[in-house]
Amino acid sequence: MPAIQLLFIAGLTAVLAGVVGFAAVVLASAARSGGGPHVTSGFLRRFARPGRERAELHRWAFYLHRITGFAIFAFLCLHILDVSTYALSPALYDELHGLYATAPMRVFEAGLLVAILFHTLNGLRLVAVDVADMGIDASRRALVAVAALTVVLGAAGGAVIVAPAFA
Amino acid sequence: MSRALGPEGRAFRGGDRHRVAARPGGLAGRRLAASVAVRVTGLALAVLVLGHFTLTHIVTDVAEADAGYIARRWQSALWLAWDWTMLATALFHGAAGVWIAVEDYSPDEPARRRRQLVLVAVTLALLVLGTVTLAAGSGA
Repeated sequence: MPAIQLLFIAGLTAVLAGVVGFAAVVLASAARSGGGPHVTSGFLRRFARPGRERAELHRWAFYLHRITGFAIFAFLCLHILDVSTYALSPALYDELHGLYATAPMRVFEAGLLVAILFHTLNGLRLVAVDVADMGIDASRRALVAVAALTVVLGAAGGAVIVAPAFA
Repeated sequence: MSRALGPEGRAFRGGDRHRVAARPGGLAGRRLAASVAVRVTGLALAVLVLGHFTLTHIVTDVAEADAGYIARRWQSALWLAWDWTMLATALFHGAAGVWIAVEDYSPDEPARRRRQLVLVAVTLALLVLGTVTLAAGSGA
């Protein structure tokens, strides 16, 4: 494997490790100050409550927004570095870019799409909550729509990205 | 400076409530300006990034987005403008978000300042690198 590809894999590993570490910090601090228990045996029971009592969904949306935002920024840093090889030599870029079409990278790109979709749609929801002065019920319904759109668009886009590796 | 203490007198851990020192010069006004800037850049990125991702991963298969694809695309001033705007906007938006996360999870003032300094340095370096890449790639 060419050195430039190994370098990229090392960078991607660092990005993923950074994201896992950041998520651990977010969730550990959330468990201490976010209020209420988290994923415990009572989780499903709490989930069965009527929608308007499920205000903690907003809290989970906040954690997920932070973690996906950090993940996208971390990948952006690596992506600027990998595209910059084009300025050194287009051949070097092509050698590195060959990785993007491999099956594991395609799975990673599908995951990246899901992160971008959630962060974008939830961000639009937050702007709408402020601009339209939406109340807690309306913003929770919007959050359910964000989750549904993320799943639908992420699955459709992810299938298009991953399919060539298994064709 | 000694390590900041949390509410119960032990060392600060992420998630503790702590007072961020008020800074002179209209803190509330700057917070408002920052939150408006993050939302406006976010709206722009919704178009720029989803457009970029759709074109290079879904409309075009990623295997075909090679050096030849970049060479063709960067002949157009419009695509150069798109890519540079996306670069600068995404770096600003991302750095602003990580800045706030650092503020929330950093144990004490020196650690917070050190991390924010690294963040700004990395962001500016990447902005310069991306701009140089676009300039070199366009043949300017």
